[in-house]
Amino acid sequence: MIVKKKVDFLPYILISPLIVFIVLLALTPAAFTAVLAFFRVQPLNPPSKFSGLENFRDILQNQEVIASLGNTFFYIVIGVTLTTALGIFFAVTLHRGFRGRSILIAILILPWALPGVVEGILWTGIWDANTGVLNSVLKSLNIISEYQVFLGQNKLVTILAIEIVQVWQITPLSTILILAVLQNIPDDIYEAALIDGSGGLKAFRYVTLPLIRPGIAIAMVQSIIATLNIFDQPYILNGASTTANSLAMQTYAVSFQNLNFGQGYALSLLITIFTLFVSLFVAKIVYKKVEY
Amino acid sequence: MKTKKKSFRRFGVSFILFWSLIPIYWVINTSFQTDAQISDVPSNLFPPTPNLDNFRALLVGDGELAHLVRRSTINSFIECISASVLTVLLATLAAYAFGRMEFKGRKFFLFVVVMTMAFPTYTTLIPMYRIMAFAGLVNTYTGIVLCYVSGFLPLATWILFTYMQSLPSAIEEAASVDGASRMQIFRLIVLPLTIPAIASTAVITFLFGWAQFIFPLVLASDESTQPLTVIVAAMQGRHVVPYSLLSAAGVIALSVPAVIALLTNRFIVSGLINGSVK
Repeated sequence: MIVKKKVDFLPYILISPLIVFIVLLALTPAAFTAVLAFFRVQPLNPPSKFSGLENFRDILQNQEVIASLGNTFFYIVIGVTLTTALGIFFAVTLHRGFRGRSILIAILILPWALPGVVEGILWTGIWDANTGVLNSVLKSLNIISEYQVFLGQNKLVTILAIEIVQVWQITPLSTILILAVLQNIPDDIYEAALIDGSGGLKAFRYVTLPLIRPGIAIAMVQSIIATLNIFDQPYILNGASTTANSLAMQTYAVSFQNLNFGQGYALSLLITIFTLFVSLFVAKIVYKKVEY
Repeated sequence: MKTKKKSFRRFGVSFILFWSLIPIYWVINTSFQTDAQISDVPSNLFPPTPNLDNFRALLVGDGELAHLVRRSTINSFIECISASVLTVLLATLAAYAFGRMEFKGRKFFLFVVVMTMAFPTYTTLIPMYRIMAFAGLVNTYTGIVLCYVSGFLPLATWILFTYMQSLPSAIEEAASVDGASRMQIFRLIVLPLTIPAIASTAVITFLFGWAQFIFPLVLASDESTQPLTVIVAAMQGRHVVPYSLLSAAGVIALSVPAVIALLTNRFIVSGLINGSVK
């Protein structure tokens, strides 16, 4: 006699709404992007037709796209460096219990919770050429004699100023991720280090830093994804000028201003592949399983 | 040695406070000043004559701006609350299956869900617009909420999954001996234990929703569905709006997430830690 094993439907029923959403509104769009990147899709110039690598050729010959690629490189380097450094610094500060620590964590989280658009508005008050507080402070300290334009003139200064705003937003997440790993390090490891006579900076360099590598890796991957996609902050702070356009802003411009969806798809596809590649690469290099 | 450590902490604590609060303080400071006052050199560290004119212009009366700000604030609440509730509901059901049941394809489905988290926003932006246009959902609450939910579900599922998986397996065993069905176990035992993670997920998805900009910029074509972020950005784009007024709009838009973050930071922190893919 063959006993037929009954299929258990309950788990499939429970995950089906999730799967429907993922298939319809995440995988389908992604597949659209991957396929239509090879088509000419211009809403004002139908019909769509297969065009092979034409979109890729066009965007790679587009000076603005090339420039935004370079800009995005700077956004990533500045952003990942600063968030990682600040994240480690903040996490070490918050490591041991002290009075007011939980309030400090609440305050630390604040910038993460705010919309990028609103952060653009906030930091306009700091960077602005006419009313910005940074100009006021620098002038009071006699570092500058005239108010300076920080946004929209010098490319690197603009990128730095915009990226600092994003760093402000994403550093809390880096801090939390590193702090979580830091708090899992058993105390006796520190005690051993202290007995060895390596306190302070030395203990940090040779004990703490190697042990928190997994946390740093996760934090860095998150920062790379965020900086690679930077849009809201430059849109608000520097929307009118193309000086410091990010890849994401360029994608938006190509798709919705030039109404060349095909090129937009091609650019999105390149960004996606690039993100996955860089994330895996960084994770591989920095992430090493730590054995206590 | 001890004092060195203490001064390091004092420096770190001051730095975190200064870094996190100065930009927020500054926008509040300018929002209580007049347009002329914010142009003073040097800048006023406090509002010289604090007044609520900017807020009044944005919130009260029949002006076009006041109308837009009020309407978009309501839109933001409707869209974020709906998206948050729907996300938490669907993610909790799925996480229960992934975290507490064995079934064929479990690993595969979980992998697919997690993989979509790595898609950059822009992979889905244009097709999302076209799908919504095809379904006639551009410029509707439904379209925006569906778009948010699809974006938030992977992280929400992951947070709830890691949490439910960490619950001891003894609970089901004990309950099933008593003859409880799996949905009863879910409702009566697993769900109450998962409340902290559900709270984390709800808060985080609400905040994500409140911060959305590019999707509603594309999907909401007029004030009937545009959230606050889109209106604030539009105000900024019109150069006739002075910064004093703009900063008041910023304060309005940040007050909701700021209060939520201050009140629920424990849930946010534990959610973010659970949600990081290891």
